[in-house]
Amino acid sequence: MAELYVKPGNTERGWNDPPQFSYGLQTQAGGPKRSPLTKRVAAPQDGSPRVPTSETSPGLPPMGPPPPSSKASRPPQFVGSCPPSRTEPMDSPVVESETLLEDVLRPLERALEDCRGHIKKQVCDDISRRLALLQEQWAGGKLSMPVKKRMALLVQELSSHQWDAADDIHRSLMVDHVTEVSQWMVGVKRLIAVKRSLFSEEEANEEKSIATAEQNQTVPGIQHDL
Amino acid sequence: MATYLEFIQQNEERDGVRFSWNVWPSSRLEATRMVVPLACLLTPLKERPDLPPVQYEPVLCSRPTCKAILNPLCQVDYRAKLWACNFCFQRNQFPPAYAGISEVNQPAELMPQFSTIEYVIQRGAPSPLIFLYVVDTCLEDDDLQALKESLQMSLSLLPPDALVGLITFGRMVQVHELSCEGISKSYVFRGTKDLTAKQIQDMLGLTKPAMPVQPMRPAQPQERPSVSSRFLQPIHKIDMNLTDLLGELQRDPWPVPQGKRPLRSTGVALSIAVGLLEGTFPNTGARIMLFTGGPPTQGPGMVVGDELKVPIRSWHDIEKDNARFMKKATKHYEMLANRTAANGHCIDIYACALDQTGLLEMKCCPNLTGGYMVMGDSFNTSLFKQTFQRIFSKDFNGNFRMAFGATLEVKTSRELKVAGAIGPCVSLNVKGPCVSENELGVGGTSQWKICGLDPTTTLGIYFEVVNQHNAPIPQGGRGAIQFVTHYQHSSTQRRIRVTTVARNWADVQSQLKHIEAAFDQEAAAVLMARLGVFRAETEEGPDVLRWLDRQLIRLCQKFGQYNKEDPMSFRLSDSFSLYPQFMFHLRRSPFLQVFNNSPDESSYYRHHFARQDLTQSLIMIQPILYSYSFHGPPEPVLLDSSSILADRILLMDTFFQIVIYLGETIAQWRKAGYQDMPEYENFKHLLQAPLDDAQEILQARFPMPRYIHTEHGGSQARFLLSKVNPSQTHNNLYAWGQETGAPILTDDVSLQVFMDHLKKLAVSSAC
Repeated sequence: MAELYVKPGNTERGWNDPPQFSYGLQTQAGGPKRSPLTKRVAAPQDGSPRVPTSETSPGLPPMGPPPPSSKASRPPQFVGSCPPSRTEPMDSPVVESETLLEDVLRPLERALEDCRGHIKKQVCDDISRRLALLQEQWAGGKLSMPVKKRMALLVQELSSHQWDAADDIHRSLMVDHVTEVSQWMVGVKRLIAVKRSLFSEEEANEEKSIATAEQNQTVPGIQHDL
Repeated sequence: MATYLEFIQQNEERDGVRFSWNVWPSSRLEATRMVVPLACLLTPLKERPDLPPVQYEPVLCSRPTCKAILNPLCQVDYRAKLWACNFCFQRNQFPPAYAGISEVNQPAELMPQFSTIEYVIQRGAPSPLIFLYVVDTCLEDDDLQALKESLQMSLSLLPPDALVGLITFGRMVQVHELSCEGISKSYVFRGTKDLTAKQIQDMLGLTKPAMPVQPMRPAQPQERPSVSSRFLQPIHKIDMNLTDLLGELQRDPWPVPQGKRPLRSTGVALSIAVGLLEGTFPNTGARIMLFTGGPPTQGPGMVVGDELKVPIRSWHDIEKDNARFMKKATKHYEMLANRTAANGHCIDIYACALDQTGLLEMKCCPNLTGGYMVMGDSFNTSLFKQTFQRIFSKDFNGNFRMAFGATLEVKTSRELKVAGAIGPCVSLNVKGPCVSENELGVGGTSQWKICGLDPTTTLGIYFEVVNQHNAPIPQGGRGAIQFVTHYQHSSTQRRIRVTTVARNWADVQSQLKHIEAAFDQEAAAVLMARLGVFRAETEEGPDVLRWLDRQLIRLCQKFGQYNKEDPMSFRLSDSFSLYPQFMFHLRRSPFLQVFNNSPDESSYYRHHFARQDLTQSLIMIQPILYSYSFHGPPEPVLLDSSSILADRILLMDTFFQIVIYLGETIAQWRKAGYQDMPEYENFKHLLQAPLDDAQEILQARFPMPRYIHTEHGGSQARFLLSKVNPSQTHNNLYAWGQETGAPILTDDVSLQVFMDHLKKLAVSSAC
C-alpha cells in the first residue's frame, strides 16, 4: 500500500495553489468512485431565477444574522442523523517503529554484489556511489520517517523478487519525496532493473535445462496483456 | 425505444461521438435552415476498457477512391463471400482468411456492437517514444530547483526504453550530449541567430553517418540511434548520468543588469529542438517539452525587449497595433509548429511565471501539434508538479494514456460531405469525393494530423448535407460516417481505431418533430462555441458575438413556438430549453471576452477549450454550481446570484478554478468554532462535504485547476460573483423587495434581460 495523503499547495509561490495528492492517491484506481458533480439546473424559460424553496428553516433567520454567540443563530445540533458528508476520513493509525539503516543498506549492497560481473564496472561503481550517498544521508539524519519506512518495504519486495512492487515503491518515493531521494534513488532504480533482467535470464536458463512438465510458471517481468 | 438522452449517452460511451443532430435533414436547403450545422464532437481514442484490440488488419473496400473499412453497416453475402461497401456500394471479395465466415461465424468487425473497433498493425519495426526536454535556465533558484526535481522525477515515470534528450537555454542554447561515460559535453549555440534545419543538423554532426548509404541493406531503424545517440538515449541507460546532469544545472551565468530582463533565447532553442528531431526521428512519436519561466527576449521569436520598463504587450497594445514583436514572433513559432506537425512530433509548453511568457505568440506550437499548454505561477507549485505528473498517467491496463502521430480520416456516404475540423490538428490536404467546398474550421480535406493526443482529446467535425431538395430521401434511409484514426500507441504499436456510425434521414416538411426531438443541445452548444472561438482568433470580438447572437435568434425563430409579435407566447421545447442559457454564459466566458485577461491567459483558456471533451467543455461554458446545506444532500443549483444564500456552502467548478464559498451565516459559525464542538458534529461534516467533493474533481482534472476557498465578503468571492447570472444587481435590488441571494455590482445584462430581448427578436417579423 502506498501512502495516501493530501497536503496543501504552495500558496507562497502559487496563487490559489491546489492541494497536492500523494502518488498513492493519484494512481489509486477503482476506488469508491462517486457520481461526478456535473448536473446543472435549467433556468426557467423567462430566465428569472426561481425563488429558492428551502430558503428559510426554523431557527435560522436568513437575513441580518445576529452575532454567532446569540441563541438565535446556531447550526442545528447533531441528533444522530446522517451527516451530509459522503465520505469517511481515510486516516489509518500509524505504528511507529524504527527502521534500521543496516536492514535497508545490506540487502541493496548484496544485490549489487550479485550484479557485479554481469554489468559494466562503471555502472556498478555508479550505483555503489549512490548507495554510499544513501548511507550518508540516512546516517546524517537527513531522511524522513516515511522515506526510511518505504525503503524498508522496497528492500523487502526486492528480496522476494517482486520487481513491479519494488519499482512502484521507487516511483512513489520519487513522486512524493523527490527532494530527499532524487540523488541516490536512481541507483536503486537501476539496481531493481538489473536484478530483474538477471533473474528472468536465470529463470529462462533454468527452464530450458530442467525440461520438467511443470508448466505455466509465470516469469516475473513479463506483463500480462489483456 | 429508449429516450434520445439515453441514445445519445450510449453512443458517446461506445463510439466517442456526439452529434448536434441525431436525425438528419435530408436536403441541403433544409439543413442550412436548421441554423446549427450537422456536426459532431469526436473523441477518437475514448477510453474503452471493454474493447480489447483485435490482432489483425482491417479489410478495405477495393475501390481506390473509397477504401472504406469493412463495418457492421455493410451488406454481406455469406455464400458468395462478398461484401458491399456501404459508402460507395462497391462489391468486394473477402480476403482468403475470411473463407470460414457465415451468419453464425462472424468476424468482430461485422457485429453491431463493434461499431467502434481497434486493430493492431503488426507490420513495421516498433519505434521508441522520444522525449526532448527544452529547459529555460533563466529562473530564480527556488524555481529552478523545483523544476530540476520534477524533471528528475519524470525519469522514473517515463517508459524505461523511451529516448530522452536535453537542451538548456538562457542567453545561449546548449544541446547536451548524453553518454554513460560520466563526462558531460554540450554543443553551444548563440541565441540570436536562427539556423535552418540543415545547418543545425550539420553543426550537431547528425548528417555524417547518414551520408554513406549502404545500397545493399534497406534502411533499418536500428541504425538510426547511432546517428542521434549522442543526444537522445534510452532512459534505462543514462538515467543516472542524466539525473546528475539535471542536478548540476545552474542558473544562466550571464549577469542581468538592474532594470533588465534576462536574455532568453526560446525561439532558437525551440528551433534547434525541432531540427534535431526532424533530422533524426521523422514520423516517430516524439514530444518536445518546453519549460520556460519568462518571455523570449532575444533572437527570432522574441516577444519583448530586455528593458523592464517596457512591459509585454497587452490586449490594449494589440488593438492599437502597438505590439512590436508580435507578428514576427508568431510567424517564427508558426513555422516551427508546421514543421513539427509535418514530422509527426508535438510540442508542449510549460510556462510558469507571474508575468506573461509569450503564450500568445507560441500558442500555435501546442495547438497545431496536439501538445499541452500549461500555465502556472511557479515551478514550485503543486499546480505545475501535479499537472506535469499527470502527463505520464496510465490507463487501466497500465499503458500510458498518451498517443502519438495520429491521422484522422473521415469518410461519408454520398449525401454528406465533410466541411472541416476544429481541434488540436493540422490539415493533411487530402482532397476527395467527400470533401465539401464550404469550409467550417480547418477544411478542404478529409484527413487531419493530430501529433499528440490522449483519451480525452476531442475534435469538432463539421459536415454539409449535399442532397438536393427535390431528391427523395436517400437510399436506405440512413446516412453513414466512418472515422478512421491511425496512431502510435504508447506501447509503440501502430493501431487503427475505426468508428462507423449511421443516423436516419428525415424529411423536414413532414418530420420536423423527429428532427427536433433528436437535437443534442449540449453538443450543439459546444460545437457552435468552437466555431465562435475559431472565428475569434481572426475576427474582432464584437463581430463574433454578433454572429453568435444572430445564430441564436434564427434558431429560436425556427424551433420556438410563438405567435408573431407576442414575446410572452414564446416557448422552446425540452430539447432546446437549455441552449439559450449556454449561449448567454458563453458570451460572458473568457473564450470570447478578453476583458480582465491577458493575451496569454486568453490563449491558454482557448487552447484547452479546443481539445476537451463535451462534459469538460460544457463546464467551461457554463460552470457547475452545487449547494450544501442542512436540508439534505448537496444539490445542483442555478448559476445565479439568487443561489448565494447565507446558510449555504457553494462549490463551483469552472474547469480552471474550483471555488468553495461559505455563505455569511456559515462563515460566522465557522469563525465561532462550532465545528469543534461535539454537539455540532454535523456542522463539521457540512464544512467537510464540499472539500471532499472538490478533492474528487481535483484528482481527475487535467490540468490541475486553481483552488479557491473563500467566504461571504472575501475578496476572492469575486470568482463566484463574476460567473453567476447577475439576476440581482445594485440596480434592481430594491425592486425585488426582499433580500435573497447576493446582489452583484455589475452593469452586465442578466439572463432575464437577455431572454426578454431574445424573445422579442425571435417573434418579430422584422428580422
